[in-house]
Amino acid sequence: MVPEAPVGSSAEHRFHARRRGLDLSIAVWVGVAAILLFMVIVPLAFIFVASVHSDETDRLTLANYVEAFSRAIYLQPIRNSLLLAAAVAVVSCLCGTLLSWAVSHTDMPARNLIRNLVFAAFVTPSFLGAAAWIFLAAPNSGWLNRAWVALTGAAHGPFNIYSLGGAIFVIAMYSYPYTFAFASNALELIPSEMERSAALLGASWWRITWRITLPLVRPALIAGAVLSFLEAIAEFGTPAFLLIPAGQQVITTQLYLFFQFPTRPNLAAAYAIPLLLVTAGLFVLQQRLLRRGRFTTVAGKGAVREPFRLGRWRWVLFAICIIPPLCSLILPYSALVVTSLSRAWGRGPLPGNLTTHWYRWALFENGAARMAIQHSLTYASAAATIATVLAIFTAYVAHRRLLPGARILAFVAVAPFVVPGIILAIGFFSAYARPPIVLYGTGWMLIAAFATRFLPIAYSGSESAIRSIDVELENAARTLGSTALRTFGRITLPLLRRHVLSTWLTAFIPSLRELSSAVFLFTPATAVMTNVIFDLSDGGNFEPVSALGVLMMAMAFGLIAVAYPVIGRTVLIHRQGS
Amino acid sequence: MSRSNSVDRLEMIVHSGCSMIRREFLQLGMGALGAAAFDALSPSLARAAASNDEEKLYAEARKEGKVVWWTAHYALSAAEAVRNAFVAKYPGIEVEFIRQTAQVIYQRLTQNLKAHIREVDVFASTDEAHYLALKNQGVLAAYTPLGISNLPKPFQDIDPDRTYHVGALGLVLINYRAKLENPPQKWTDLLDPNWQGKITLGHPGFSGYVGNWVVAIWDKYGWDYFTKLAKNKPKIARSIFDTVTDIVSGERQVGAGPDSNSLESKAKGNPIEIQFPTDDSILIASPVGILKEAPHPNAARLFENFFYTREYSTTMAKTFNYPLRSDVAAPSGVPLEKVKWYRNKAQRLEKAIPDAIAKWRETFGV
Repeated sequence: MVPEAPVGSSAEHRFHARRRGLDLSIAVWVGVAAILLFMVIVPLAFIFVASVHSDETDRLTLANYVEAFSRAIYLQPIRNSLLLAAAVAVVSCLCGTLLSWAVSHTDMPARNLIRNLVFAAFVTPSFLGAAAWIFLAAPNSGWLNRAWVALTGAAHGPFNIYSLGGAIFVIAMYSYPYTFAFASNALELIPSEMERSAALLGASWWRITWRITLPLVRPALIAGAVLSFLEAIAEFGTPAFLLIPAGQQVITTQLYLFFQFPTRPNLAAAYAIPLLLVTAGLFVLQQRLLRRGRFTTVAGKGAVREPFRLGRWRWVLFAICIIPPLCSLILPYSALVVTSLSRAWGRGPLPGNLTTHWYRWALFENGAARMAIQHSLTYASAAATIATVLAIFTAYVAHRRLLPGARILAFVAVAPFVVPGIILAIGFFSAYARPPIVLYGTGWMLIAAFATRFLPIAYSGSESAIRSIDVELENAARTLGSTALRTFGRITLPLLRRHVLSTWLTAFIPSLRELSSAVFLFTPATAVMTNVIFDLSDGGNFEPVSALGVLMMAMAFGLIAVAYPVIGRTVLIHRQGS
Repeated sequence: MSRSNSVDRLEMIVHSGCSMIRREFLQLGMGALGAAAFDALSPSLARAAASNDEEKLYAEARKEGKVVWWTAHYALSAAEAVRNAFVAKYPGIEVEFIRQTAQVIYQRLTQNLKAHIREVDVFASTDEAHYLALKNQGVLAAYTPLGISNLPKPFQDIDPDRTYHVGALGLVLINYRAKLENPPQKWTDLLDPNWQGKITLGHPGFSGYVGNWVVAIWDKYGWDYFTKLAKNKPKIARSIFDTVTDIVSGERQVGAGPDSNSLESKAKGNPIEIQFPTDDSILIASPVGILKEAPHPNAARLFENFFYTREYSTTMAKTFNYPLRSDVAAPSGVPLEKVKWYRNKAQRLEKAIPDAIAKWRETFGV
């Protein structure tokens, strides 16, 4: 009798524990599913409903679609967007491939420098580049054009940044890091045997590259190009800076105009849906390509590669490879710093024109700017934290198949990837600016949008991290009676520590510099730095724009510098590309 | 103290509407006592009444601690100067402000109203049509600012219901790069093919000043003017202030621009001049109004009153805007009475600006 009681109660206890564990799992599943529903499904559903609805008559209608796709002034932006994105994809594919090949396959000097510069270009938002390139290459006043006129005596300088070509150039200079990341990933993984055999048979480095290396990584290159295309078509800031003065609209600036006076939200929704379909279709295509790409890399991993010895050509190659970083970093940052230190940028960097006023202005004197800096930091931190928690949890549950339907959760977590920021923002605005859930006017509107927008990046990082952890440690814990959640908390999470930090950072940095969704979702009381930068950019306040831009990037790079020793650059950049 | 000034001060009492007795006293006074006797009596009386109200308001406003002001009236630097002047006069009340183009702040306000967000106290657009729309929705508070009578008569009662008042005066005129040969004298000169690739404009979809200008020119010369202007390939920016940036940086040579920002830039030593067009500068009397649901109602009133003080007008002049009060000298050296100007009617603007934006988009492509 006496020994039986504890046995019975302990069995009962275990039974309850298991049931509690199960209950908890279901509760957690429901919780995560509800959050993802709130962040992804509801906003998109609202866009769709708005697109077939008329607010004036309160009826369902297809008239929005008819109007959006029959008038020439609305069709022209679509043509421009497609042209812009396709050209960006081509340019960034060329740059990214060349640079990654030079870095991974040759003995070009300063390869690490190039790698770091590509990463820095990746961190820089293209709208800052666009502002800088206005100083550099506005047709008459740009410094490069003026220098050209002064040197050659020509009537006009050669550059016109206010053009479709100008916008293509600027966006490409900030999206080639995507192709670079994909290509260098693939280039490092392809079997070196084939290249070595070809070299033994006497093929030149040129022939090996052209006939063996590039065909092997072609799927990765196309996948990178597709990603650049997606980036470019969703880009808002650069077209607003460079194309409106050129008399051109793209889809995103047109969407923005639909929300200016007189507002046309239904028309905007109808106009957004096809863009969404295009981006979703391309994403599916990209995923297929990548899967095929992986297939070819199964063999020969880890072989030591002899770099091609280019002799004198190494310096020529370096001179070519430094051009993209020159255009995306060195020139623009110099222009931004000089402008931020000028009283009036139109007068150029002359001694009497120098001042630190704009930094004092941003940090102390202007309440709006100071508040925006605080908002940027807090909102981006909160968004990154939410995205990281959700991503790690979803990835863990999905990868270990812990719960029924986990794969659906994983799919939903990746889905925002195909949603351009401006469309996500329209969805958030239609869903959460009215009762029952009113987030508009609070910081949560921006936090939720940023977290959603960068959840896919966080997810893909977490997923590869979890894949790298041996499941046996967890199994051991489970065998010893630990619950799933306890195992996760006590075994898995500590193993993931480094990855958690890098995942957080990969969500934090894009949140800090995010413009396209913020521009719809802020109110002046919740403005972030990018809002203030965009607001100041009209009216020609380029000096404070530059000062705030420089401060914003100093924060981003400062944080990276602190985190770098812990996580390493390769984790970060490969993470973005995966 | 001059006689007209004293009368102004008395009218101030009337408008503040606090006492019927005073009103009768004033009417009586004007008739029976005669103005001469009043000169001696009125200033102290008026000052006492005004400062009394003002002090009460200031005390209430201090409890609220801040005022939120959205403005499209003038450049960022001028808005900052107004804030500084207000804070200097009324310590303890913070001014939180944003400066954006008129259509943008209006759009943000309508979004807030739809979502029932109470954020802004004082709304200062440059497009009077916004106020007609806001009045229709019943979201503006009626209030007669102390000192409104300091305004020149034609600008005192732009809204009979007193939900908004003139808060800034500005002109759209021709601005051009200094040392330009044969600068344009009138609006129709901009159609000359000589100016091809040299003109800079703002966008009516963003800027209230530009919208005003487009409607005025449309009414004067017909839409044909813009069809011809488009052939000169103007650069289209967003704000009207962008024209100044373009001219100063040498990006473009002539613009349809603002008086204030051009003069400010000129004073800094930049190569820019203004020309009052012989076929009329476009006058924009930008309204200012208080929201019914203002989160800081007393601070809002105090702030609106501030617009009619000498400090505000001096700040305007210092930042190269036309002062509201005629007892402060105009920065251009040309007082408003001497300028040949044209002003759109609010009712016309309400209908015409959305049309103008749509037609603009078809003509200029953006």
